[in-house]
Amino acid sequence: MAKNNKSKGSGAYIFAGILIAIIYIINTFLVESIYWGNQEVSQKTGQANSALNKINSELTAINMDSISIAAGIIPPEDIGITMGDTNKRYGNIIAAEHQFEAIEDLSPTVVKRYNYAKALITAFKDKLDSLGTKNVQAGNEEMMADILKQEIYPLQTAASEMLISTIDVVNVETAKMNAANTKRAFALMTVMMIVAILGEIAVWLFARRAKKIRAELEEREKNLAEVDAKLKATRQKASDLAVINVLTGMKNRYALDSDVSDRLETGRFNIAVFDMDNFRSINDTYGYDFGDEYLAAVAEKLKEEFGDVAEIYNITGNEFCFLFNSSVTESQAMGIAQNIQRVMSSPYEVLNLAVQLPCSGAVYHYLPGDCLNVNSLLVKLDTALRTVKMNGGNMINTVMNM
Amino acid sequence: MNKKNRRGVFRAIAACTLSAAMLLSGGCGSKGAQRGPGGPNAQQGGTIFVITKQSLSFWDDVKKGAADAGEEFGYDIVFREGTNDNDYSSQEAAIYDAVKKKAKAIVIAPNGKTELNKAFEEAEKNGIKIININSRADYEGVASFIRCSDYESGSVAARNAITLLQVKDPELATLKNIAIIPSTAATSEERVAGFIDSFTSQAADAIAPIDMTETNEKKVQDARSAKIDAYKKGVIQGAACSSESAAKDAAMKVLQSNRDSISVMFGTNTNTTLGICEAIEELELENDITVVGFNSDEKELAYIKTHVLDGTVIQNPYMMGYVGVRYAKRAINGDSVPSRMDTGAVFVDAENINDDFIQLMIYPDGKPDAAENTDGGEG
Repeated sequence: MAKNNKSKGSGAYIFAGILIAIIYIINTFLVESIYWGNQEVSQKTGQANSALNKINSELTAINMDSISIAAGIIPPEDIGITMGDTNKRYGNIIAAEHQFEAIEDLSPTVVKRYNYAKALITAFKDKLDSLGTKNVQAGNEEMMADILKQEIYPLQTAASEMLISTIDVVNVETAKMNAANTKRAFALMTVMMIVAILGEIAVWLFARRAKKIRAELEEREKNLAEVDAKLKATRQKASDLAVINVLTGMKNRYALDSDVSDRLETGRFNIAVFDMDNFRSINDTYGYDFGDEYLAAVAEKLKEEFGDVAEIYNITGNEFCFLFNSSVTESQAMGIAQNIQRVMSSPYEVLNLAVQLPCSGAVYHYLPGDCLNVNSLLVKLDTALRTVKMNGGNMINTVMNM
Repeated sequence: MNKKNRRGVFRAIAACTLSAAMLLSGGCGSKGAQRGPGGPNAQQGGTIFVITKQSLSFWDDVKKGAADAGEEFGYDIVFREGTNDNDYSSQEAAIYDAVKKKAKAIVIAPNGKTELNKAFEEAEKNGIKIININSRADYEGVASFIRCSDYESGSVAARNAITLLQVKDPELATLKNIAIIPSTAATSEERVAGFIDSFTSQAADAIAPIDMTETNEKKVQDARSAKIDAYKKGVIQGAACSSESAAKDAAMKVLQSNRDSISVMFGTNTNTTLGICEAIEELELENDITVVGFNSDEKELAYIKTHVLDGTVIQNPYMMGYVGVRYAKRAINGDSVPSRMDTGAVFVDAENINDDFIQLMIYPDGKPDAAENTDGGEG
């Protein structure tokens, strides 16, 4: 039972351990997925920003070249080289545009802002081309300056603003995605934490309940042990009552049977029976209760006087049997018998009345194989005793060996 | 609590703590991994008031740009407007409302140069950033001024008018006078000035041909300047108009008395441009007079297609609203902003009207299925 209880208690902790392991595994996968999700977002953001910055820097450089031409910083003979540079830079812009447009799953807001910037860049390049062909070579500096100031420069500024805005929008979108990822992850982890805490509480309650049940079982076991002990005591008492006379507290006829039966075949011992003469007169005169008290007083005196030399049995109402110790010889047995007669015949004070009755006895020096059973032994003793009674009583007779 | 119970409770608490620690440790790891570039605009900003001059299609595009920027950068945009382009008291009330509502910035196209200064002071005192768009406010606390220069826009109109004239007459040998129908808007004066200065400058050789017989350089220049000044003084200007019908009347009046002496007619806003177009169409002068105007109302675009209107200057109101809010955001975050930005002007004619860029300028949100915009616009 104890082992069973122990296994019940440990089950809760095994469950807790499994729960923690599952949470740990889910957590690991969760962190992994968040990490790779963010990696992808970061990579995409990096590509987008790189392409947009490239476009912006090339655009600024083209604009600087245009202003330099318009301001006369670049000598006329180098204008062709500068315009070649512009074409190369515009080629870089186109390449960066392709790089940006190849990025998948950009949000509509980012695409809208980028398209606006791209339209401005295209208009800028168209205007620049038209300026180059129509005016630069014609040397119409005033008109070239006006176009630069009124149209090309604002277009470049606006395109640049739109490109930077696109970068900002990409960053805002990235931040939003990261925030959404974080929110989702924390929501999941919060749910898991709640599950874990609830699980742990369940485990704790389960363990607590198991512990309570174990305590109850232990208490029941203890109670059962007490009941068992009481039962045993009761059985013992019942058993004792079977072989003890309740009134005198001496062993009864059955006890004598049990004690002597085995000795009849081979044993040699001295045994005697004594009986009050005319004990019926006490009952008739003073009542049975008085008679019982008188017998109890006599029995008590006999145990006190002869308990050391003989086992005393109260085999019937007022008949006592003395099984002398093996150390008591035949002659000693006779002497003791006379003492027994004297003690039994002495006056006893019962309920403030002094009562004295004579008694008769029979002594048997038993030899091995004399009797087949205890019954025949007692018949011999009773026969000898009856003989004495028939002769007036108050005497001790001896059973003759035959 | 006996020793046995204490041990049980300790074990339960230890198990719960271990689980929580594992979850938190997982959370901490993931938090680090989630840190992306983020950027300067990751946080939600607050409220920005966008205060426009009046209720016209031009300002609708400004609002579209502002709304897009607000959405992209996480700001709430509150729109306010004057009842007309002289109504500064409504704008003043809007500024005080922005102060009351703890706005972070104001993006404003003021209906007066100095009339709003007191309100601006109050706003600045409360930490509100001021971004000026379209027309200048003479206030020192303005963080940035974003506009399309009216003078330069007039110049763009003039330059392109000359280019159109040169198609038929490359040397401008038959160049006659200019007629202008100005509007009552505050932008009109600078547009007219820009137009006249640029036109006379770029057509100077036609207006004042160099006298090859004169050898004195100074005398030559003085004579040319005098002729140009005389040409400028001779420019026909109708009465300033505030409506399309008034502009038509003014244009009719000018044309009825000067139809044979006019090469170019210029309208400074939507209403005046449309008024001129109606008059030109009515008098069937499409092939005789080059008409240039301002803005991109649907009716104006229709006149371009029928060649009544030869070209119109369009600004970029969407960009003005967008950049206005964008600069407001930067100023709020303590970043530097350019003190001025010119959003530029573009000349639209029958040749380029279908270009992607022009279409994007005219329709920032894409072209509507049906023409909805007929109420005129004003930059």
